[in-house]
Amino acid sequence: MRPLEGVRVADLTWLLAGAGGPRLLASLGAEIIRIEWRDRLDFLRYMGPFAPAQNEGAAKAEALDLSGLNKDSVKSVNRSGTFNDINAGKRAVSLNMAHPKGRELFKRLVAVSDVVVESFTAETMRKWGLGYDTLKSIKSDIIYMQQPGWGYKGPYVKFASYGPIAQAVSGLTEQSGLPAPQPPAGWGFSYMDWSGAYYCALTILCATYYKKRTGKGQYLDCSQVEPAIYMTGTAVLDQLVNGRSYQRTGNRSPYKMAAPHGAYRCVGEDRWIALAVSNDDEWKSLVREMGTPSWTQQDKFATLAARVLNQDELDQYVGVWTSDKEPFALQERLQQAGVPAGVCQTAQDRIERDPQLKHLRWLIPLVHSEIGEWPIKDVPFHFTNGTVNQGGPTERAAPCYGEDNDYVYDELLKLTKQERADLEKEGVI
Amino acid sequence: MQGFLFDVKVLELADEKGEFCGKLLAGAGADVVKVEPPGGNPTRSLGPFYHDEPHADRSLYFWHYNFGKRGVTLDIHSAEGTEVLKKMIAQSDVLLDSLPLETLAKLGLDWPALQALNPRLIYVALSPFGRSGPWRDYKANDLVHLALGGQMMCCGYNPKEDGTYDTPPIAPQMWHAYHIAGNQAFIATVGALIGRETTGEGEMIDVPIHQAVSVCTEIDVPYWIYNQTACYRQTGRHAQPAVGPEVQFPTKDGRYSIILANPFPGGYETVVKFFDEKGHAGDLTSEKYQDPNSRKGIEFARHFADVQANCVAAFDMEEIWRGGQDLGIPWAPIRTPEENLGDAQWQARATFTEVEHPELGQRFSYIGAPMLPNEVTWRQGPRAPLVGEHNEDIYRQLGMSREEVMRLKEREII
Repeated sequence: MRPLEGVRVADLTWLLAGAGGPRLLASLGAEIIRIEWRDRLDFLRYMGPFAPAQNEGAAKAEALDLSGLNKDSVKSVNRSGTFNDINAGKRAVSLNMAHPKGRELFKRLVAVSDVVVESFTAETMRKWGLGYDTLKSIKSDIIYMQQPGWGYKGPYVKFASYGPIAQAVSGLTEQSGLPAPQPPAGWGFSYMDWSGAYYCALTILCATYYKKRTGKGQYLDCSQVEPAIYMTGTAVLDQLVNGRSYQRTGNRSPYKMAAPHGAYRCVGEDRWIALAVSNDDEWKSLVREMGTPSWTQQDKFATLAARVLNQDELDQYVGVWTSDKEPFALQERLQQAGVPAGVCQTAQDRIERDPQLKHLRWLIPLVHSEIGEWPIKDVPFHFTNGTVNQGGPTERAAPCYGEDNDYVYDELLKLTKQERADLEKEGVI
Repeated sequence: MQGFLFDVKVLELADEKGEFCGKLLAGAGADVVKVEPPGGNPTRSLGPFYHDEPHADRSLYFWHYNFGKRGVTLDIHSAEGTEVLKKMIAQSDVLLDSLPLETLAKLGLDWPALQALNPRLIYVALSPFGRSGPWRDYKANDLVHLALGGQMMCCGYNPKEDGTYDTPPIAPQMWHAYHIAGNQAFIATVGALIGRETTGEGEMIDVPIHQAVSVCTEIDVPYWIYNQTACYRQTGRHAQPAVGPEVQFPTKDGRYSIILANPFPGGYETVVKFFDEKGHAGDLTSEKYQDPNSRKGIEFARHFADVQANCVAAFDMEEIWRGGQDLGIPWAPIRTPEENLGDAQWQARATFTEVEHPELGQRFSYIGAPMLPNEVTWRQGPRAPLVGEHNEDIYRQLGMSREEVMRLKEREII
């Protein structure tokens, strides 16, 4: 069985930091009912890459430009590949929360749900008369999870956050990149959107366990920035205890002695291999693979401490040696010799080449009602007994807009035909 | 107040791969007992150290990642040690294992044996590449994981004009492969605990770190799946199919800010008004940009970024970003981690917490909870265990006499 079978979640999240949390709950078997309205859809529904229509070539490569969401050029809101992945395993209804009757209908959904999760700005739900007290009066053991960027409590309650904002303020951006005077490199994707999603999921799971054991629901205030701060503890302690502020080290190991430890050029355009040598055995193996050139026999590379001290020079030597090697053959050869080595893989490498990811079935085929079957990233935890995968209870990829209106409104909430027709006419459904 | 997982007992056999997951379990209220070899876990040798003195009880790394746990020492490879371990497993809800593959199996504790010992056990195993497959025995560390997982090819600096790179891909430092895998392992573990409430049965969960890391990038995978388009790394912003406008700008005091475009309706006018009030709107207030159609495309986006850069350059890092946020514009300072200690937001939320180190006669600010629960509390202490600190307590609870504990100590089994 699926471990969260029977848990129903009213999902008012969007984008990644919000919507990625319920995605994980779906993989564990929770029924996620994503609530959307056509006038203010998730931006991801308008953002590429899109599933190509038949016989249509690949979309033109364009830079993301959030300020210029070109809604008119999007033919269908059901074709975004990013949305398809982030919302796999969920159901979806169309529901106009800005309409008073929409909010009444939402309350009926709350009455049959276990969890309400939203990532609006902090005051939205309260303004709609749907604060925790109200939700609790509808369903006494409801778990209500609020996930505004900076948290509900505190002076920054109205501040906005996306992954890059949380990364910047927390210190994660400053910690990434080549040493000063180079600027921080930061993160080339919304790490804290994914991490925000993890904390959304793990907090709801914790509260669900607590409810199973005590019968009590609860209200949770989960910011996107705090989980980022949570990962910087070693650096905070180093400053408090030793008065030392974090200094970027590029790809070099900041606290664990290792050298060589970095990315080295290989044959091909923008091809690199990461090597991490942290003891004498690994060093000896690397030296042997390099053919024991005379430079390796110098005193300045004889011990780990010496190699760390002289790593500028060491990196040059190693970089020259790797530069005429094919990266994957070199990875295999070094790994066989016991040297930790890995190619800096692109998405194409991971999808088309990586035999381990294939073996682990990291992408699973799931069907989307409009764009058909596509590979979806499965969750990276493998259960032995329970049924756990990203298809979730729906066993499909992301829902189309309003795809599950019949199920939710007719079967679950038991609206009469007349009621539903009226609500549709009034712009509520 | 108690924690979410107030009645959950966890036994942790973990190195740096699994310690973060254990930290989360302890934070969520579980009673986490860390089992270390006599003399202490190898992770106690990771720096930085208190006053830069390498010492098993003074690794700041270890302090952070083992906060809130209790600790015992035990030579699990000795016959007697294995028997003690079995007793502890029999009384635990969760066994968290990130030791090298097969370590437990070699002690006769493979999954069937664990189930026989404790049918309700949730056994969660983190390993670099999983239990089987062609790379099963590959060696990895944080850097190698972030290379193979795709993070590095997304992170770094702008390409040159001709599209080639003179800088390497960058792995954001400080153990993120293990953060990612630890978060996922925690999610799976609590999911299994919930499932156990229905089935009454245990579960074995495999978490291959390589897979966890590989699913934690953003648009590069869908761009390849749907359009066979590659993404290119660029300074301080998302890897994308083409080079986009800058979002990271130097400030007057030699620091940096992140300034995102405002995607909301009316956002453009708000931002320009803000720049104008600061005297740095450039030509954005001119007639030619009043028509929204004149503001489309990458050329305008780059021009807009130049205006932002000029405005930001006139202010110190902490001077300007709140003003933007007050108007709903997502801006942020690029802080060092400790610069959050004095921030009013985190003080209001008690994000940092004072923790006693009685062995040093000192107290330090630690990062407390990653969220704010109301019905329960996130664990606020104690500090990480000293080597073997809870041997007496825990082994006595297992039913050993004081003499027996002494004897095990003399024989260096604990």
